[in-house]
Amino acid sequence: MSAILEIRNLRKRYADGTLALKDVSLRVHRGEFVAVIGPSGAGKSTLLRCINRLVEPSGGSIIVNGVDAVKASGRQIRRLRREVGMIFQQFNLVERVTVLRNVLHGRLGYRNPIAGALGLFSRQEIEEAKNILRRLGLHEQMYKRADELSGGQQQRVGIARALSQKPLIILADEPIASLDPATSETIMQILSAICREDGITCLVNLHQVDVAKRYADRIIGIRQGTVVFDGPPEALDDKAVGKVYGP
Amino acid sequence: MSMEVDWAPAGAARQTGRTETPARRRRDPVLTGAAIFGAVFFVFGLIHLNFDYGQLWKGTLAFVRSWAYLFPPNAAEWQPILAAALETLYVAVVGTVLAVAVAFVLAFFAAENVAPKTAPLVKGFVSLLRAVPTLVWALIFIVAVGMGPLPGILAIFTHAVGMLTKMFAQSIEEVDEGVLEALRATGAGWLQVMLQGVLPCVATSFLAWSVFRLEVDIGESTILGVVGAGGIGWEMANAMRNYEFDTASFVGMVIFAMVYSVEFATNRLKNRIRLRG
Amino acid sequence: MKRSGQLLEDLQKRKKRQIWLAAAGIVLITAWSARETDFSVVSVVRGFGEIVRFIGQDFFPPDFSAFRSLIGPAVDTICISFVAMVVGAVLSLLLSFFAAATTSPYRWLQASVRAVCSVLRNIPALIWALLLVAAYGLGTLVGTLALILTSVGTLTRAYAEILEEIDMGQVEAVRATGASWPQVIAHAVLPQFFPGFVGWSLYKLELNMRASTLIGMVGGGGLGFSIQKGLKLFQFQEVCVAILMVIVLVLTTEFITGKLRERLI
Repeated sequence: MSAILEIRNLRKRYADGTLALKDVSLRVHRGEFVAVIGPSGAGKSTLLRCINRLVEPSGGSIIVNGVDAVKASGRQIRRLRREVGMIFQQFNLVERVTVLRNVLHGRLGYRNPIAGALGLFSRQEIEEAKNILRRLGLHEQMYKRADELSGGQQQRVGIARALSQKPLIILADEPIASLDPATSETIMQILSAICREDGITCLVNLHQVDVAKRYADRIIGIRQGTVVFDGPPEALDDKAVGKVYGP
Repeated sequence: MSMEVDWAPAGAARQTGRTETPARRRRDPVLTGAAIFGAVFFVFGLIHLNFDYGQLWKGTLAFVRSWAYLFPPNAAEWQPILAAALETLYVAVVGTVLAVAVAFVLAFFAAENVAPKTAPLVKGFVSLLRAVPTLVWALIFIVAVGMGPLPGILAIFTHAVGMLTKMFAQSIEEVDEGVLEALRATGAGWLQVMLQGVLPCVATSFLAWSVFRLEVDIGESTILGVVGAGGIGWEMANAMRNYEFDTASFVGMVIFAMVYSVEFATNRLKNRIRLRG
Repeated sequence: MKRSGQLLEDLQKRKKRQIWLAAAGIVLITAWSARETDFSVVSVVRGFGEIVRFIGQDFFPPDFSAFRSLIGPAVDTICISFVAMVVGAVLSLLLSFFAAATTSPYRWLQASVRAVCSVLRNIPALIWALLLVAAYGLGTLVGTLALILTSVGTLTRAYAEILEEIDMGQVEAVRATGASWPQVIAHAVLPQFFPGFVGWSLYKLELNMRASTLIGMVGGGGLGFSIQKGLKLFQFQEVCVAILMVIVLVLTTEFITGKLRERLI
């Protein structure tokens, strides 16, 4: 199997001096569904944001599909980002525009700067966005304003936005932390089903170990900026959990 | 009942006056200092201005007597006066609309969260535009381009750009950081993030500020004429200079009617904007 | 099922159409206004060079030797706006009790006080100064009076609105103790009233500071008079100093009142 994402000796120190990532190395293969677990402040969010350069890494390398993301500049970052979809804890939709428009935002990286800025999308892109919404069961909500939707529905729109990018990788940063348990279950089912069907590689930050064990092919445990566990869910026993979350 | 209980200790503390009780809230020394300074400065101001109080009395009598001249208002010259009133509106509209357009662009370079590099520079620049009153701008522009509506429009435009850019930028700075991050993560460029992500969030407040500014500018526009920058202020200054008090009172009524109806209309507009949320 | 989606889509389209219509309306009104005032981009562009040349060459460098002679007018300006604010606030304080629906003894009184204040507020200070000069003669008195009038107009309404938002539960409670009207005011109304009162007064001080620099232009004294005079005598570099002083005064007032307001909350 080929590695679609290879991280070597990744380090990140923030301007205020905190060392968020000490020395992270890992390989993710095409189509893997990986859960990243760890206590809050361990560096999970920073790790994900380094991959699409929302956070500037301080050192190391991140090879995404053969291209080094750390060395990418300007235009290359845009190209990288459009191949990497992202889903957020707070959904981060533009609440005052329609659901359909929020999904179309996933196409911005493909449009030329002016057309995209003016919100001009091709008929084909709009059709595809509608199909994605239909697939996620949001067809009826298409023309509603995003803030009229429930939390679970908003997160589905967030997934739809990432899908419309036709991404190789999806990064999900605590996608269910703001949702109730039942909705969380639905969202995780949708996310894992879609990634498997479309062969999308997925990295999910989670803080619920049980959810990670049920959905992931592989679990990576992070503590204080370093990888302390990396293996299949079966291998994550109580002792390993203790290593990740500490005494 | 509980209300009374809440109230009693506070009232008691107040009635006991100077005796310090633990329940009494401590006063902020800076505010107390400011209050004392204010009182002293008020007395100083009165002494410094050295009003002739005899004149105050005589003037008031004269002013009251002049009311007789104010009535009945002389509407004989209603045509040029109404034309001047319209010109006042035109000047305000052109100046404000242009200012909204320019401030709309400038604001994206003045907001810390989306343009940290240019923000301090643009903010400093617009605060200078804002600090010079519209009328002073009008005087400067009159010397530069001559009398008429043009210096009035430019003056309103300049001051309004200063104020609107600040307000628009503040609205942009309130946009949720997560939304910006989400759009950047799709690979969207700066312009795309601004127009697709920021603009929908700030559109309502931009609109509300623009309407508010139009209201203020119509008020400003009425006085620009006094220094010769076109509009109804000129008619007022003229009438007073010629001691045509009855004409002046008619002009005053027109100004009042104009500003009042604008206040009324914009209040309704603002309510509608708020309803749309 | 399908129809509700269709309905929403239609609604979206109609909303879009409304926005375009409103935008077109604004453009039309603006174009008409521009036509009526002979405003054209050409004249602005042509004028722009002249403006830049004028400000760049005639205004700069500022003639700071004029600074000393401008200190007097500047102090006048500060005093005028401050005294007018204080007097205006005191008068408004009295009037606002008659202008608020909750405290006014008679309805007709409330309506008439509000009407008078509306007139005071909606006629700009400069116009008031113009009206008053005829009766009081030139000088700082006219400027102060004009600002007092607009202060009363603005502050009475503002205070009255604060009064109307006061929690009547507390007022009831005090009244229930058998307190007289002045006692009710002192113990139940004023404590709730105070922060808004100070906030609005400070805001009016800012407005007065801006306005008082102008009132001089029609003979109300202060920096405005110096600016007007300097422009008439073509002493632009002195005017530049006066304008710089206006900027400093306005920004300083804004800064101080802002800091005080922060402390109030």
